[in-house]
Amino acid sequence: MARNEFAETLYDSYGQRFAIDEVCFESRTEVQHLLIFHNAKFGRVMALDGVVQTTQRDEFYYHEMLAHVPLFAHGQPRRVLIIGGGDGGLLREVVKHRSVEHVTKVEIDAAVVEMAKTWFPDHSRGAFDDPRFHLVIADGAEFVRTTEDPWDVIMIDSTDPIGPGEVLFSNDFYRQCQRILAPGGIMVTQNGVPFMQLDEVRKSARAFRDLFADWHFYGVAVPTYIGGMMTLGWATEDAGLRQLPLEVLEERFASAEIDTRYYTPAIHRGAFALPRFVEEAIGK
Amino acid sequence: MTDLRGGGSLPADSTLAVHPALGGRETDWHALVRTHGSPLLVLDCDIIRRQYRKLAQALPDVSLYYAIKALPNRAVIATLAEEGCGFDIATNGEVAMLEQLFIEPRRTIHTHPIKRDLDIRTALRYGCTTFVVDNVDELEKFIPYRHRVALLVRVSFPNPSARVDLSRKFGCAADDVPALLKEADALGIHVKGLSFHVGSQVADAGMHVYAIRRCTELLRLPRPDAVAPMSVIDIGGGFPVNYDGSIEDIDAFCAPIRTALAELPSNVRVLAEPGRYIAAPAMTCVTSVVGRARRGERMWYYLDDGVYNSFSGQIYDHTRYPLIALDAQGESRPSVLAGPTCDSIDVIAEDILIGEMQIGDLIVAPMMGAYTAATATTFNSLPRARVLTLAAPASLDVDDSNVVRLA
Ligand SMILES: Cc1ncc(COP(=O)(O)O)c(C=O)c1O
Repeated sequence: MARNEFAETLYDSYGQRFAIDEVCFESRTEVQHLLIFHNAKFGRVMALDGVVQTTQRDEFYYHEMLAHVPLFAHGQPRRVLIIGGGDGGLLREVVKHRSVEHVTKVEIDAAVVEMAKTWFPDHSRGAFDDPRFHLVIADGAEFVRTTEDPWDVIMIDSTDPIGPGEVLFSNDFYRQCQRILAPGGIMVTQNGVPFMQLDEVRKSARAFRDLFADWHFYGVAVPTYIGGMMTLGWATEDAGLRQLPLEVLEERFASAEIDTRYYTPAIHRGAFALPRFVEEAIGK
Repeated sequence: MTDLRGGGSLPADSTLAVHPALGGRETDWHALVRTHGSPLLVLDCDIIRRQYRKLAQALPDVSLYYAIKALPNRAVIATLAEEGCGFDIATNGEVAMLEQLFIEPRRTIHTHPIKRDLDIRTALRYGCTTFVVDNVDELEKFIPYRHRVALLVRVSFPNPSARVDLSRKFGCAADDVPALLKEADALGIHVKGLSFHVGSQVADAGMHVYAIRRCTELLRLPRPDAVAPMSVIDIGGGFPVNYDGSIEDIDAFCAPIRTALAELPSNVRVLAEPGRYIAAPAMTCVTSVVGRARRGERMWYYLDDGVYNSFSGQIYDHTRYPLIALDAQGESRPSVLAGPTCDSIDVIAEDILIGEMQIGDLIVAPMMGAYTAATATTFNSLPRARVLTLAAPASLDVDDSNVVRLA
C-alpha cells in the first residue's frame, strides 16, 4: 500500500505528521525498524520504530549543541567517544575540532551507518573517512564496561529509551562512563523533551547526582523533537567547566575557526539556564 | 450428499457445492483437494469484505478494530486494512504480524488486560499507544510510560447467556471503576475511556445495551482531578453469526446498540472489536474420509481433520459447525465422524444420520473461520490444515502457493 503520510507514534494524544513525497528506504533490521522518506519541509527524514530521529534540514540544531558545548567547554579535547549517533551528524561536528586526535563511535546497528552514508551524506560529510575516526559496531553499554581508555568527552546520542536505547539511560551505564572519563572529562547525553517526558529528566538527575561532582542539563529546541525545548545532560567532575565566562568561549570559538549554523558562544552560555519547572524536577 | 445441520439441500449427485454458508461462490471441492491435498481450510476474502461492510453499516459511527485472535491470517489482515478497518492486538506475536504487513500502528489498540513490561514496550515500539487495564497493579505498570500512552479501563459485565463469557477472567466491576480512575488520576496516567466485552457469540444485544448504559453513567461521573475527560467507549466484540448456515441479520441485532449509543455524551468516540462476526463465515474446512469401520450399530468414518486441528473450536469455543457429507450415497444411518489422532475425545460428530461414504469422500464444513485454525494444535505430530486463500487483496505480496486466484 502506498503511504503518503508518516504519523509519529510517540504519544497517544499528540503527534506530528509528515507528508511523504517518496519512501527512500525501509527495513527491519535485527534491532529496529528503519524508515527513510522525503518531506518537502524537512528533506529526508529518518525514523526508527516510528519515531523521528533526524532530518536533513533541522539536524544541525541538535548535533551542534551536543558536540560543541562540551568540546569548547573542555578546551583541549583529544579523545572523544560517541555512543550511538549512527547518522554521523555528531561525528561531523566533532572532527571540526583540530585538537581532537581520536574519535571512536560505537553503534549497535551497522545498517544504520550504511543507510546514513547513502541517504544522509551531508550528515557526515566525509567524516566517516576521517583518519582520526574509528567505528565500532557493538552494544554501547558493553563497550563502556570493557574499555580501559580514558576519554575527554563522551557523547551519548541515544534513541528513545523504549527499545535498544534503554540501557543507555541506566545508572550502571552512567557509572561506567564516569569510570572512563579522563580528568577534566565531560559526558553529555540526549535526555528527551521535559514538557513531554519530565520523568526522564528526573531519572537522569537522580543518577547523575550520585555519580558526578557537577551535573546539569542544557537546552535546545529541535523542531522535529516535538514538545518544545529538549534537554541534554551534562556531567563532569569539574564544576568550573559550565561556568566559563563568555569571553573564554568566544575566544575558543574564534580560534577554532569552525562554521556553525546554530551554535554561538552566547547560546552556549545561555543554554544552561533552565525553565523553573525543570529546575524543580531535578531538585535545583 | 447429506446436509447434516439444516441449511440448503443440494442435488445428490453434485460435486459443486453451493451452500448458503459458502458465500455463494461455486467451489469444486474435489478439484481443490486433488490439487492441494487434504485437509484444507479455504479462506474467502470476499466474505471478509462482506462481513466487515455489513457490520460497519450496522454500526455507522463505530470504528471497528478486528480482533486478530479470531483468525490471525495475513490475507484477512491485508483485506481488512484495505477496507479501512483497525486492529485489536493482544500479544507480541500479533504485533509482529501487523508490523510485517506495514499496518499503520495508529490504527491499533492493545486490549489484553494483563501484560508484562516487555509486552507494553513491544507494542509501544511498534507504535501502539492505547492499552487496556482492569486493576491497580496493571495501572502501575504504565507509570514509566505515562507521558506516551492513553488507557481504557475494562469493565466486567458477566453474561451467562454468551457462548463464551469473557467477564469472569477480566474486567473491573463497574462499581469499582471510580476508585481505579481516581488512582490513575493520582498517578498522572491518562485514562481516555472505558471498554467491555460482553462475551462472544451472544444471543442478543441486551448485554451490550446494558453495558453501554452503565458505561454512559460512569463516563458522566464528575472527575475534578482527571488528567482529561474520558472520550472513548470500546464496546468489544460478541457480534454473533448463525452456525446453521443461514445469513444473520446483523442490522437488526445492532439496532438496540445504535439506540443505546445515541445516549452517549457527544464527545465520546465509539470503538468495537469484532472477531467472530468478520472471520467465521469466511473459511470452510474440507476434510477427507481416510478410514471406515462398522462398530456395532454405527458406521465410523475416520477423517484427516479433527478436534485437535481445525475443529479445535468444538472444544475451546464450544461451537459445532455445519457438516456437509458431500459424497454420501444411499440411505442415511447413524454414523460417527472421528478425527485422525489416537485420542478418543477426537470425535467431530456422534450419532449423525448420513448415507454411506467411501474412503476419499469429502466432508465440507462451512462457518469455520473464527477460533478454529487459531487454536489448532499439532498433537500426534499431525500438521495443521493447509489454508488456501481465495480473492486475496492484490496488495498482499505473497509468493505463496497457498493463494488461489480463481478465474
Ligand atoms: C478483548 C477481546 N476483544 C475482542 C474479542 C473478539 O470477540 P468476538 O469474536 O466475540 O467478536 C475477544 C475474544 O475473545 C476479546 O477477548
